[in-house]
Amino acid sequence: MQVPNSFKLALLKQMLLGFQLSAVSSNSMSFHERKNAIKLSADAAMVFARGSTRWTRGLVASLSKNRNNEDLLRGILGKKYERLSLPCCNSWKIPRSRKILKRCLGLCSRRKKATGTQHDVKSSSTLARRLVKKRIQVLKKLLPGGDSMEGFSLLDQTLDYAVSLKAQVDVMRRLLKISKASNLNK
Amino acid sequence: MSGRGSSSRITDEEINELVTKLQSLLPESRRRNIGRASASKLLKETCSYIKSLHRDVDDLSDRLSALMATMDANSPQADIIRSLLRS
Repeated sequence: MQVPNSFKLALLKQMLLGFQLSAVSSNSMSFHERKNAIKLSADAAMVFARGSTRWTRGLVASLSKNRNNEDLLRGILGKKYERLSLPCCNSWKIPRSRKILKRCLGLCSRRKKATGTQHDVKSSSTLARRLVKKRIQVLKKLLPGGDSMEGFSLLDQTLDYAVSLKAQVDVMRRLLKISKASNLNK
Repeated sequence: MSGRGSSSRITDEEINELVTKLQSLLPESRRRNIGRASASKLLKETCSYIKSLHRDVDDLSDRLSALMATMDANSPQADIIRSLLRS
């Protein structure tokens, strides 16, 4: 699964804008200040490129918790910042989504059960269910804004987030490669 | 990503598609660990994939930070970056 090139280009542009705004190439920054500025620029750029969805709003919310980040966030996101900061209320969807998640993950285990042996079915399925629950809790912590998501939305947003993250990694890697290569010609 | 805003039913096809997409999202090496895709294994691999992407971002930020420290605004690197932005 891949993002379009326009996504990566937008990500790169905004990330470089972020570097400029926070003056990462100045000598007055400590290593950690610079690294944090780079990470923040990369995340804000990813949000900009993706636009409005639940995880991007979750990410903006958590990045905004640190007051020092506000200027850079506004600088990179521009008008989008206000829109992405609006709370989203989808609480009514949650009960239904849980059923859908069970159906969804049921499809996975049904495929397996069809070919497996029939020993203590009840306790093995309870164990499986408990394990699935545990893993979902882990996933919710990894996904920005994940705590308020359930079921289908959770998985859908996870997919979306992972694809965007991969693009972020690709862009940063390419930038590093290009910068290093040109550094050698100094 | 999915325009389900006002529709009330999520079909089995949509769910199947999502599960397939999640599986195909994982790089080859992780997909091998799942075999016939038990739900908990799929979730486990997805979580560890996301964690590894987070680590990649952190590592790349370290390296970019070290590099940026040695760059100055008028160097050839800046020109290359500017030309990247123009394309």
